[in-house]
Amino acid sequence: EDQVTLLAGRPKVIACPEDDDFMTAFDKMMAENIQMRTQESLKVPQLDIAVPMHLRGKNKKTACPTSFGAPAPGPTKEEGTVSFVLMTKKGNKQQLTNLDVPVTACFATKFREREEAERME
Amino acid sequence: EEEEEDQFYMKDLPKYACAYCGIHDPACVVFCNASKKWFCNGRGNTSGSHIINHLVRAKAKEVTLHKDGPLGETVLECYNCGCRNVFLLGFIPAKADSVVVLLCRHPCATLSNLKDMNWDPSQWQPLIQDRQFLSWLVKVPTDQDQMRSRQITAQQINKLEELWKENPDAKLEDLEKPGVDEEPQQVLLRYDDAYQYQNIFGPLVKLEADYDKKLKESQTQDNMVVRWDVGLNKKRIAYFHLPKANDEMKLMHGDELRIRYIGELHKPWSGVGHVIKIPDRSDFSDEVAIELKSNAGVPAECTHNFVVDFVWKSTSFDRMQAAMKTFAVDETSVWGYIYHKLLGHEVEDVVLKCTLPKRFSAPGLPELNHSQVYAVKTVLQRPLSLIQGPPGTGKTVTSATIVYHLVKQNNGPMLVCAPSNIAVDQLTEKIHKTGLKVVRLCAKSREAIDSPVSFLALHNQIRSMDSVPELSKLQQLKDETGELSSTDEKRYRALKKQCEKELLQAADVICCTCVGAGDPRLAKMQFRSVLIDESTQATEPECMIPVILGCRQLILVGDHCQLGPVVMCKKAARAGLSQSLFERLVVLGIRPIRLQVQYRMHPALSAFPSNIFYEGSLQNGVTAAERLRKNFDFPWPQPDKPMFFYCTNGQEEIASSGTSYLNRTEAANAEKLVTRFLRSGIKPEQIGIITPYEGQRAYQVQYMQYSGSLNKKLYQEIEVASVDAFQGREKDFIILSCVRSNEHQGIGFLNDPRRLNVALTRARYGIIIVGNPKVLSKQPLWNHLLTYYKEQKCLVEGPLTNLKESLIQFSKPRKLVN
Ligand SMILES: [Zn+2]
Ligand SMILES: [Zn+2]
Ligand SMILES: [Zn+2]
Repeated sequence: EDQVTLLAGRPKVIACPEDDDFMTAFDKMMAENIQMRTQESLKVPQLDIAVPMHLRGKNKKTACPTSFGAPAPGPTKEEGTVSFVLMTKKGNKQQLTNLDVPVTACFATKFREREEAERME
Repeated sequence: EEEEEDQFYMKDLPKYACAYCGIHDPACVVFCNASKKWFCNGRGNTSGSHIINHLVRAKAKEVTLHKDGPLGETVLECYNCGCRNVFLLGFIPAKADSVVVLLCRHPCATLSNLKDMNWDPSQWQPLIQDRQFLSWLVKVPTDQDQMRSRQITAQQINKLEELWKENPDAKLEDLEKPGVDEEPQQVLLRYDDAYQYQNIFGPLVKLEADYDKKLKESQTQDNMVVRWDVGLNKKRIAYFHLPKANDEMKLMHGDELRIRYIGELHKPWSGVGHVIKIPDRSDFSDEVAIELKSNAGVPAECTHNFVVDFVWKSTSFDRMQAAMKTFAVDETSVWGYIYHKLLGHEVEDVVLKCTLPKRFSAPGLPELNHSQVYAVKTVLQRPLSLIQGPPGTGKTVTSATIVYHLVKQNNGPMLVCAPSNIAVDQLTEKIHKTGLKVVRLCAKSREAIDSPVSFLALHNQIRSMDSVPELSKLQQLKDETGELSSTDEKRYRALKKQCEKELLQAADVICCTCVGAGDPRLAKMQFRSVLIDESTQATEPECMIPVILGCRQLILVGDHCQLGPVVMCKKAARAGLSQSLFERLVVLGIRPIRLQVQYRMHPALSAFPSNIFYEGSLQNGVTAAERLRKNFDFPWPQPDKPMFFYCTNGQEEIASSGTSYLNRTEAANAEKLVTRFLRSGIKPEQIGIITPYEGQRAYQVQYMQYSGSLNKKLYQEIEVASVDAFQGREKDFIILSCVRSNEHQGIGFLNDPRRLNVALTRARYGIIIVGNPKVLSKQPLWNHLLTYYKEQKCLVEGPLTNLKESLIQFSKPRKLVN
């Protein structure tokens, strides 16, 4: 009953010079930022971002209950999404958060395909 | 007590609402670390999401996610090097596991040993794609939510960003505020969004408020003589004559006045009180009475040297402004369907699921006729309906019946409003008859005022509640002594508040004025169904007050062919504030359901209004025989038609007040007609004289009393008033005195077809129009009316004892500039 169907439809882009200017500015900003970054000589820390041990191989259907308060990844949640875990840092502490990634994202598709393949074996 | 009122119902957008469009779902918004503002990840009508639009224009690069979003408060940064430039960030997934990590494009995502750690750098995905944050990181608001938010354009975004450079706190509204001397923006038929609606109506409400304030505050009266009394509740009452109370001041029950003593017999004193009595025809007194809020230091021994000022209150205007704001910022305030319909957007029709009752008439109310049944049936199934009730068609019974069925269908209380207290009381009475549990909510300042439904008023229901003995005891103490100790008072208020809440929540129906719906006592309640009676007499912002309390089904009742809302400020009226919401919805193509059977007028009286104002659709529910008075001897020119146009050609003068017109000949003729009615046995209360000008009204009242041949008292009891004062009411006999007969000017007031409609539809048994056909016929509508009367052989002149058909030639109608 809550569904309201607007006959005018959905939000539509209104083309105008201001919007064109924005698109140009966006492209320019993106390009400049990338260029500047690659020209900079950066000292970055030694790479140490291993996939956390307890998340490894857990995506198979044999996944065990959540331990260490870490969310359990599962391959599918709702139709059209794959559950991933996002690794972030808060200060120096590692944080893991569940993330539903739509299959329209390349890596999610790949992941699902691989999973299917493994199940077939 | 009411000082604690107001304020907390003011809704505002949360801090984290998108600074462009107002969307405020925590999962959809992002904080710009540089500008300290929030933006959403929806594109609206631009080609990038709002946050990206902003970052690009403000040249900002760092953002934080909302603490209540799925990831919690998170600064987006490279997991390895801490780089926070979102234009450089992206994700890579693990090779074999469902884990992703955020890394900068360079150098971290290109480091060679990533692969050794089971990551797959070839799958790198930038955070911003297609000028929008990845939807699985920052949710994109739904189309529905985006269509309901502020429809900001790229041009406006540019302007706003410019404005922020000088004033970081600037709002989009600031761009559109009219200058001080500018004409306000005209109202529209359709609005992009509720923000635009608010931006257009807000300044108009402000204009009206300013006008009202100035008018009221200029009404200070000095040299007042006061008579003191004490009320039953032990409070002091001051009586005095206020010459301007009637016309200019439009004093109402509940208004606040300040009274000051400036004489020498007592030290200076001032006190504030509510008006509990206004000049009233029924008791022939023109005294005003106010009940003082506090008895402290009242110089009751003094009678002279008082000054009275009007204390202007902004409450009603504040509530309109608050309602429009809530309409814009709170998506739970009105269901989407109604939101878009009110703004004039095209929405797919919705039929509400409901089981139609077997019997459409409600208990305790009269049986409905076919058009009333049709109205009830249709309304129950629709989320938004307009009911047009021409004069005498049983609008109130139909409304009460609808309320009865809606309450039976839905759980939870229903809200029923009308712009005026009188209309609310009438409807309340009818709804009460159906057996529903009704609470009439009154403004606190009006609690002392009596009405036929006083016993249903919340404050009286609380008094008669005996379930809380402590409250009854405190109430008794307060009544007896006039005041309570501060601890008792505190306890009393707390108990009262609790009881009010319980009564309101247990009610089937809550009835109040439109402005009353903004009462803080209703602020936390939700009303799924709302019915507004006489909605064509309310301004749009007034109508919005009851609507924004969670409405999912809205019924507007009224008649846009009768008088509209009264707007005093000409500037605001010209800009369109005097057009009702009902009327705009009709223009938008929503067809009102029309009640078609009238039970008021003699069929001969309804014919012209039906043809001219209602496309001939009015049917008569009364017969000529039922509207014939037996043994009534009156010189109707056509015995079967109790109506005529009485031609006069008296001169019009400007009344002593300088702004109003008067016509002595017409007043004399009206008196002769009245005397004839009275002699034939008609009672004074059955007669009404309608005259458009205050000057004529005053003169007519005076003239009848001094020149009428019958007892003065009889003439005093006859109601003489403007068309506006008669709207919504009826009399057995109406004399309409048109006044204008100036060859060079328009006919002013009666130029408005809606006013003429009201004037012609007040009478049940007979109507007589007194006027100058030569002048009136210049106006096309009046020309119609005169021609009709002529055709009916009801256009007459000469003495009452010898009325003759008039052969007067009409003027050619022309467009008159009023
Ligand atoms: Zn936005
Ligand atoms: Zn990095
Ligand atoms: Zn809309």
